[in-house]
Amino acid sequence: MQAVPEKYEDILASNQDLRTRLEEAEGIIEAIRNGEVDAIIVKTNNEPELYTLKSADRTYRIFIEKMNDGAVSLNREGIIIYCNSSFSRMLNVPISDLLGMHFLNVIPAAHIDLISSLLDRSWDNDSKAEMAFPGKDKPVPVLLSISRLEIDGGQSLSIIITDLSFQKEAQQQRKSLDQKDEFIAIASHELKTPVTSIKGYVQLLRYHFNEEGNTRAEEMLGKADVQINKLSSLISELLDVKKIETGQLQYNLERFNLCTLVKEMVTELENFSNSHIINLKTHGDCMLYGDSNKISQVISNLIENAIKYSPPRSEIIVEVSEAGGKARCSVQDFGMGIPKDQQSRIFERFYRVTGPIENTFPGLGLGLYISAEIIKKHHGKLSVESEYGKGSTFTFELPF
Amino acid sequence: MSKIFIVDDDPDILDILKMMLQIQGYQVQATTNATDVLAITDPKPDLVILDLWVSGNDGRDIFTQLRRLEHTKQIPVVFMSANSRLKEIAAEYAVDDFIEKPFDMAYMLDKINEVLTRSRKKNP
Repeated sequence: MQAVPEKYEDILASNQDLRTRLEEAEGIIEAIRNGEVDAIIVKTNNEPELYTLKSADRTYRIFIEKMNDGAVSLNREGIIIYCNSSFSRMLNVPISDLLGMHFLNVIPAAHIDLISSLLDRSWDNDSKAEMAFPGKDKPVPVLLSISRLEIDGGQSLSIIITDLSFQKEAQQQRKSLDQKDEFIAIASHELKTPVTSIKGYVQLLRYHFNEEGNTRAEEMLGKADVQINKLSSLISELLDVKKIETGQLQYNLERFNLCTLVKEMVTELENFSNSHIINLKTHGDCMLYGDSNKISQVISNLIENAIKYSPPRSEIIVEVSEAGGKARCSVQDFGMGIPKDQQSRIFERFYRVTGPIENTFPGLGLGLYISAEIIKKHHGKLSVESEYGKGSTFTFELPF
Repeated sequence: MSKIFIVDDDPDILDILKMMLQIQGYQVQATTNATDVLAITDPKPDLVILDLWVSGNDGRDIFTQLRRLEHTKQIPVVFMSANSRLKEIAAEYAVDDFIEKPFDMAYMLDKINEVLTRSRKKNP
């Protein structure tokens, strides 16, 4: 109790204080009525105590109902006294059927012994186990986490069942990619050694035939050498992928002129094959900072693809320009094009466009993946516009 | 003419390199046994081409030993390998140069010539 005020002013102040407190209390009651309060903390002499209201319980209830994990509670006898909809979905049995059943009667028969002993143990210690539930279409790998709960003096077991499908699939994908990468590293090294011998002997033979004036033989070996170089670059592609995956691909940065580089690449490819008409258009002076060897690898990959997937004697337009602080290089062909539904996937590792004609073209499905990675590392973007049956335009943009 | 010592455990590669270098008039000594290079006597080679992995011997260890020995420490060394990390390894060990397998004959000969010219300038 407060001391009795002596002065009129004190009485007025005290009255005002009480009025304010009353208004606050009315406000709180109004907020509780409107469902705006989830919990009240009451300060006592010891620890603050938390009182939850019905609306707060509802929130938690919905949260457990809607969560992806299955939730079950069992009484001392192992009877299901509560379960959520995720659990019912995992077992493919309606909730109404599950309530009141013994837990061991609802789980797959193969796991009964294991779970029975787990439940016994869980009254003393929390336990976990992995197993498979039947699911709707296919078995669902799950993790069971069992712990003992004490509510209002009564004891029950709570079981959380986590669906591991997503993790298992991701693990499986990683494992198969790792195996592919390991294979690539060994295969690339082992393939390079015989190629070195073949290339060496071919070059020596070329030298000798040339000395003897046997130009026919020298020419044939020249063609063999070109094929050996192709094989070499396929092996290098495989190695590049390995390096990209392990972050070992080294970039040697320098200033270079993109227009000059593209001109050089076009000339080099024209010397190598004159099956197509390459129309080169350059605008401006695109000075860039980056790895010119890697960018030339991208340009030659795009032009070689254009040659590969368009008919002989058709035109290929290679254009270099500047716009909005970026250098832009595009390679357009008038060949077979790429179906819309496959366009987003062509930059994926090992992805190859499929179709009756497409399947007849050789390749590993690595060129565009490597090119896209190289452009990405230069903070640029490689994109495609294509119409099936009409042709494709590949464009990369690099910031200055 | 310059004398070149080659170490590689693949006899074909030795054969090829020997023929290519002899065409250019180099004197060539070739071995598949990595430790042979440590027993080098006078007249010393002007250059050693060392494969990174020679029958259980790591070319890097051989290189380190060559650099430690008084009578071999001045000889320029070129690493050769199909290892994708060759460039980084060559930089790490500060060898005189490196040749990636498979190599182009003209490119390889240019490289050997460059290293020999540099070495002659350094130790006339």
